Amino acid sequence: MIGPITLDFVKEKIQDIGTAEQVRSNRIRITTTPGHIRDAIKSVQELLSCDRLLTISAADNGKTLELIYHLTGPHRMIISLALELPRDAPEAPTTSDILPPSGIYERQIHDLFGILFQGRSDLKKIILNEDWPENEYPLRKDWTPAPDTFYGGIKGEKV
Amino acid sequence: MAVPSAGVSQRLVNWARLKSPWVTLFNSGGCNACDIEVIACLMPRFDIERFGILVKGSPRHADIMIVTGHVTLKQASRLRRVWEQIPEPKYVIALGACGASGGVFHGLYHSVNSVDSVIPVDAFAVGCPPRPDEIINAVVTCLNLLKEDIAHGGKEWRQTNGIKNIKNTNEIREATL
Repeated sequence: MIGPITLDFVKEKIQDIGTAEQVRSNRIRITTTPGHIRDAIKSVQELLSCDRLLTISAADNGKTLELIYHLTGPHRMIISLALELPRDAPEAPTTSDILPPSGIYERQIHDLFGILFQGRSDLKKIILNEDWPENEYPLRKDWTPAPDTFYGGIKGEKV
Repeated sequence: MAVPSAGVSQRLVNWARLKSPWVTLFNSGGCNACDIEVIACLMPRFDIERFGILVKGSPRHADIMIVTGHVTLKQASRLRRVWEQIPEPKYVIALGACGASGGVFHGLYHSVNSVDSVIPVDAFAVGCPPRPDEIINAVVTCLNLLKEDIAHGGKEWRQTNGIKNIKNTNEIREATL
């Protein structure tokens, strides 16, 4: 086990990956890019002993899509690796091989935000129903249900 | 369905149906609070088994179905399929504000907003969640409906006599005002 995780300690360890900032007393946010996220997770696992994935959160801030990986370890400091993706073609490399619990989060984020995880071949529906139309991502800010589209439920007459 | 001049065996069946309704529970996407209130009905304080109301696991054994929660798009077809498996005469109770109108989930991208847009509902027990005595009251309401249906020889009289199932939230609002 390594010593207390301070901002200076994190900055010293991950200089070439992204910029770190202290957002709360127990949370350090590292802003990185999609190209560096796999290296960032590997080095956070090895150098900062963050071996647990809390969650992957996705957000639509209006201009871009945001993807944040929250990792923690026995020191109970949370490291948030944030990356921004363009709205028109949001793509990020998969982390399910180096971080196995992220597989189910990636499928959910693909369902609701339409972020494509490169290297995953099994991004099938997990939260939405099977007959949900393609290319409709309900948690994006600019999404509204189209009037004539069938989104699921019961087809045909009511009982 | 029995007519008033039914035989002895049919009268025996009707008596058994009224004395011991079996209930099945279906969660169509709720938060589980209503299900916990149904469990509270089974606990010693209310103890609905002393009235002969049994909660069964299979819809094929049940007379009354209690549906909890707003209906998600994924659960709608499952709810319809489970409802079709219940033998006639069957009665449906929609539990909670969600079962009546979607509750806090009304208008969500993934909700059909009420149970009665999928299956016909005979009684609503409203509350978030409803108390166990209100759930028992809803079951007794269904039993009274069953009694009247036996007297009329079927469920059709409720449509023809103008006493129809409440169809949408506006009618619920008018009925409560």
